Amino acid sequence: MASTSTAGAAGAAIAPAPAAHRRPFAAFLERWLPALPLLVLVGAMLLAPGVALIVGSFVGDSGPTLDNWVRVFTTRGDQLAILTSVALGVVVASICTAVGAPLAWLISRMLTSRRAFWLSLLNVAANFGGIGLGFAYFVTLGNVGMITLALQGFGTDFVPPRPASFAGLVIGYLYTNVPLFVLLTIPAMGAVRDDWWEAAQVASATRRQFWRRVGLPILSPFIAAGWLLIFTWTIGIYGLAFALAGTGAAKGVPLITLRIGQTLESDIFNTWRASVLAVILMVMAASSLLLYRRILRWALRWF
Amino acid sequence: MSGISLQGVSKRFGQVRALDDVSLEVAPGELVSLLGPSGCGKTTLLRCVAGLERPDAGVVQIAGRDLTHVPTRERPIGMVFQAYALFPNMTVRQNIAFPLEVRRQPGEQVRSRVDELLELVHLADQADRYPNQISGGQQQRAALGRALAPHPDVLLLDEPLSALDALVRTRLRDEIRRIQQAVKTTAIYVTHDQSEAMAIADRVVVMNHGRVEQIGDPPQLYETPTTPFSAAFVGSRNALRLPVREGRLRLGEAFDVAAPAGAGATAVVFFRPEDVELTTDGSGHPATVDVRIFLGSVTRLHLVVAVDGETARIHADLPSRRAMALGPGSAVAIRVDPAHMSAFGSES
Amino acid sequence: MAATTAPAGRSSGVGGLPGRRAGPALLFAGLTFYLLLPMLAVFLYSVATVWRSQLLPDGYTLEHWISGLGDERLVFALLRSLGLATAVTVLDIVVVVPAIYWARVRNPRIRTFTELSAVIPFALPFVVIAFGIDRLAGDFVPWLQSTPWILWLGHSAIAFPFLYWAVDGAMAAAGIERLSEAAETCGARPRQIIREVVIPNITPGLVAGGILVWATSFGDFALAQILTGPNFETVPIWSADALLQTTGKGNELAVITFVTFIILFALSAAIVYWNRGHTLRLLPGAGAMERTEG
Repeated sequence: MASTSTAGAAGAAIAPAPAAHRRPFAAFLERWLPALPLLVLVGAMLLAPGVALIVGSFVGDSGPTLDNWVRVFTTRGDQLAILTSVALGVVVASICTAVGAPLAWLISRMLTSRRAFWLSLLNVAANFGGIGLGFAYFVTLGNVGMITLALQGFGTDFVPPRPASFAGLVIGYLYTNVPLFVLLTIPAMGAVRDDWWEAAQVASATRRQFWRRVGLPILSPFIAAGWLLIFTWTIGIYGLAFALAGTGAAKGVPLITLRIGQTLESDIFNTWRASVLAVILMVMAASSLLLYRRILRWALRWF
Repeated sequence: MSGISLQGVSKRFGQVRALDDVSLEVAPGELVSLLGPSGCGKTTLLRCVAGLERPDAGVVQIAGRDLTHVPTRERPIGMVFQAYALFPNMTVRQNIAFPLEVRRQPGEQVRSRVDELLELVHLADQADRYPNQISGGQQQRAALGRALAPHPDVLLLDEPLSALDALVRTRLRDEIRRIQQAVKTTAIYVTHDQSEAMAIADRVVVMNHGRVEQIGDPPQLYETPTTPFSAAFVGSRNALRLPVREGRLRLGEAFDVAAPAGAGATAVVFFRPEDVELTTDGSGHPATVDVRIFLGSVTRLHLVVAVDGETARIHADLPSRRAMALGPGSAVAIRVDPAHMSAFGSES
Repeated sequence: MAATTAPAGRSSGVGGLPGRRAGPALLFAGLTFYLLLPMLAVFLYSVATVWRSQLLPDGYTLEHWISGLGDERLVFALLRSLGLATAVTVLDIVVVVPAIYWARVRNPRIRTFTELSAVIPFALPFVVIAFGIDRLAGDFVPWLQSTPWILWLGHSAIAFPFLYWAVDGAMAAAGIERLSEAAETCGARPRQIIREVVIPNITPGLVAGGILVWATSFGDFALAQILTGPNFETVPIWSADALLQTTGKGNELAVITFVTFIILFALSAAIVYWNRGHTLRLLPGAGAMERTEG
């Protein structure tokens, strides 16, 4: 029914619209109707919840207050969760960058068929997160995991890092995030054109001179942008953290995401805490993303 | 000044023979153009001289020195790329300075050399702009400046004008020629545009399927093609396949030329539209005007000629004032001077 | 892209960009091992009788596959996940394609809103979104709380950017404005244009984006756990439950994890096939990175 009226309105739209003058509401519909379902969905499911959380974080039993924020920032468990999340994001993003940047470069220079193979493999890994990956961690690196058994079988007394430890989380997170970093930065690697390297050779430059004077100056902002995306993504991961570290502080690693989940599960009367933590996460992720966009714009100034 | 010598250069990519036993001598200070359709091997040959491709066989010499196995960066060359290949993170000045800086020349010397080149390529006003802030023609001049900066023995140009529009193209073409003669460098210029090759080069090398078809100066190439390919590729020509009768090729009363030695049952004759003569004295062969195309000073007529029950289509150019009177359907008579015709056996 | 990389691959000997050298080869061997090992371990676990103390299981059996795929609770969870992901994909296609099309041909101001919206799922971690939705639903539409419907809407909202960028890119590549104008001059009406001109020309983007939406919904744990939890048990919810219990559901968990992996692999292969080895725009601004290509 809605689509019928769309077609009618749009039919009128193609001709110059004198009718629009007479009926502003019809004109508005004609301009916006096809986009309205999407905008309503996004408004109700993304925007409104975000706003509700921000508001909720400033509301106490007796009206507007800053108490929630003060209490979170003075609670040891919350402080620890914030610090650990940030630390985890920094460590994971840095390792991803160190490993992923050279990989992305090499894959971007492959012939199409080989590149397609790696893209699909990386895509699987990048999407293979959450509980399934957590389980895979246990059967690979758990106490009776494949690697653990193999290494012990060779006579070493290998003890795998506990899944619910900082190192365990880093290893788990890397599995999806290294491929993600590679997939994200491969397009940017195309920014360095082959004929620049040829031109540099003709100009007598060595490989090192080329990278120092041309390659890295052009790529480094894109790589930095990739770092920020992985950081943003990492601090927001929930499913895998839940699988590895269970319900948070009780079992080992305090993380913002786990603490939010934990509050919702067991502490239903203290949802103000979850609101504040959610807003903190929101602010960190959003500012990281803003910085990311700014860096990208800056990186594109030469193009 | 130093010349270039290529001997028996071959290169394959998988099953494709990109270069098949190519030999070529370029004299010091000469500008030689490699001309051919895409995929004919001209760019590969240029890249072999640059060292960006390594030939499977053959020798590449510059100034008598064998450079076949010398890496690109140790060769005395400058190169201008098709898509400019300017470094986007450097200004025009920094781009031109780059080859000097990687050679660790002292700063003062670099500065004066760069200023000199900016003058030469008329970019002094744009010196501190980035490549994406200047026009395509300016980018290509900057690339030329960068290529010439280290006083290369040899300048290599890979279709340098193909990304530019027609007007800029002619201007820059003449400027490249002027600069090449001013700095007296030996140059190889790759292009697929025959008028560009003729206009700029001392000698033109026509290439096809990885082989050299013909080498000659522009008038030679224009007047006396030595292979059917260069006859067809250089300039627009009428091509007619005719039966060989008693060692002759004839088109009614229009022409009668000797068939090439060793021709089989048929042979192909080539002649230019401007060499088709419209007779008024009753001689020649009758033809009918089919289409008339006004090209400015000349007008091209598409003519239909009937001979022995078969028809041939021939293009003829004549001064526009004379062509005014001839519309579609007009009856004319034509003749072609055998001196302006080339005939080749039918094996190709 | 293919054309520009080809010479580099060929000329590795003389000094093309890094070609076949020992370092990269080793790196890629390591990467393959690293990426495939967990999958292999999961698979072996799913067919192991007992696996106690060596590199490989003590014995092999199909028992877990049979019992797992015969377990009613697990099968229903799988069906729910498949159905939900499909419904989410359909909803996203229905709301996203007309919006982008209209933004391109009629009202560019739509883009201001949609671009911003498409960033939100990356700026707000899924847990945060889930918590916000749940809170809001509790306040305004309590009868929707904990129903599959709210999960359906929530998944559609968090996953739509994947489709958005893929379709937007495809429309840009196909030059949909020009095609649309051409169709108008032929007398086509908007709905005909969408069906006969727009859709056929953006199929690769539509398929790739749709697959990513599908995979996002299929794999999501955060929203599923917080919005519906055990009320609407999807595969990740079942898996989390099985993982936390110590009742020895490990082998069935291995089965379903491996099934998930196979599904993901098939989808990835499909995406790469549809995009002919090109990379995808996955995240905000990644399109800007692409602008530098070619």
